[in-house]
Amino acid sequence: MSLYQEFKRGLWKENAVFRLLLGLCPTLAVTTSAENGLGMGLATTFVLVGSNVVVSLLRRLIPSKVRIPAFIVIIASFVTVVQLCMEAYFYDLYKALGIFIPLIVVNCVILGRAEAFASKNSLLPSLVDGLGMGTGFTLALFVLGAVRELFGSGALLGYSVLGSSYQPFLLMILPPGAFIAMGLLLAAMNRFDARRR
Amino acid sequence: MSGLSRLVVTLTLITLGAGLLLSLVESLTRAPIAEQRRLETLRALQTVLPPFDNNPDADSIALVIGQDKKGRDLERTFYRGRLNGVISGIAFTVVAADGYSGNISMMVGVDPAGTVSGLEILSSAETPGLGDKITRSEFKSQFKGKTLDGVDWRVRKDGGDFDQITGATISPRAVVKAVHQGLLFFRDHRRELLIDGGNQ
Repeated sequence: MSLYQEFKRGLWKENAVFRLLLGLCPTLAVTTSAENGLGMGLATTFVLVGSNVVVSLLRRLIPSKVRIPAFIVIIASFVTVVQLCMEAYFYDLYKALGIFIPLIVVNCVILGRAEAFASKNSLLPSLVDGLGMGTGFTLALFVLGAVRELFGSGALLGYSVLGSSYQPFLLMILPPGAFIAMGLLLAAMNRFDARRR
Repeated sequence: MSGLSRLVVTLTLITLGAGLLLSLVESLTRAPIAEQRRLETLRALQTVLPPFDNNPDADSIALVIGQDKKGRDLERTFYRGRLNGVISGIAFTVVAADGYSGNISMMVGVDPAGTVSGLEILSSAETPGLGDKITRSEFKSQFKGKTLDGVDWRVRKDGGDFDQITGATISPRAVVKAVHQGLLFFRDHRRELLIDGGNQ
């Protein structure tokens, strides 16, 4: 498979959120606005690319019996790096995402890619795989956050778009809205795929 | 290398590398993070205090406000804003533990007589769209100018003088109660806080 296809796979066909339904805990929890979704997606992408690269480089050195603890140590290190950097340089985003940054460690997408891809492939494909999966994850969170923000507060990226006469549909920002928006987006994607076939 | 020792050595090396990386990043970000936290405090002080020309975060007093469950002293920091050396206002943080979800932490500013000069919500996890309206200026501004005497420190629904928020009474109630208790504490300790309040 070419590198381009490797990258494209994570965007739609194996999209972590909408196709594999992985990493739904942070997905549902932080997507109350497009900005939060984008920030969480980018943080996850950084961890994903970093852990994929390191796991791929060390894949011949790590004995298979201790591969899971080794992967988790690598992933947790990258998450801590992201957390410290975000607190130092993007303080507002850090406050908005709060507890969900450390929880990137247990995002199944990251361990999943380390185990299923990076531990079996060389550096470049692993890097591209991390980029593709991360971009797909970021896009999914951004779209979900945008839909919820639009209906839940009538705004997009903090700018009011539906005007002041719009009565916000609060449920979309509350936890049930995450499930409803997710379900509707999934249904739309399935319909699109079924049509194309 | 035998099986077991190889596992131990590999895992040790990986954690060692991770530890080195993390200590490096931590030492690089320590100063910016401390600065961000200081800026956040300063921003809050600027909104709640009457005009000042000193560094209130460098001119602070810590008083014991009670004991925690293990009997250790709980301290509260009072930041003193000065204009031409005279104390123009004092700011302190109060925490309401009886909000709708989690603690509401806020900063209250008072003038030397004990009149509220401003309120800022530092952190809260109230319901978006409902309880989180306590962070809006319409809600916060009603505290400005209020004193302990002659004001009923309850929300209107309970017969007091403070507007609640439609659909969310718990969060405003918690804020009003916490500010009230902060003011009571300030009144009891006013003398200690203003002791060197005159010209320096």
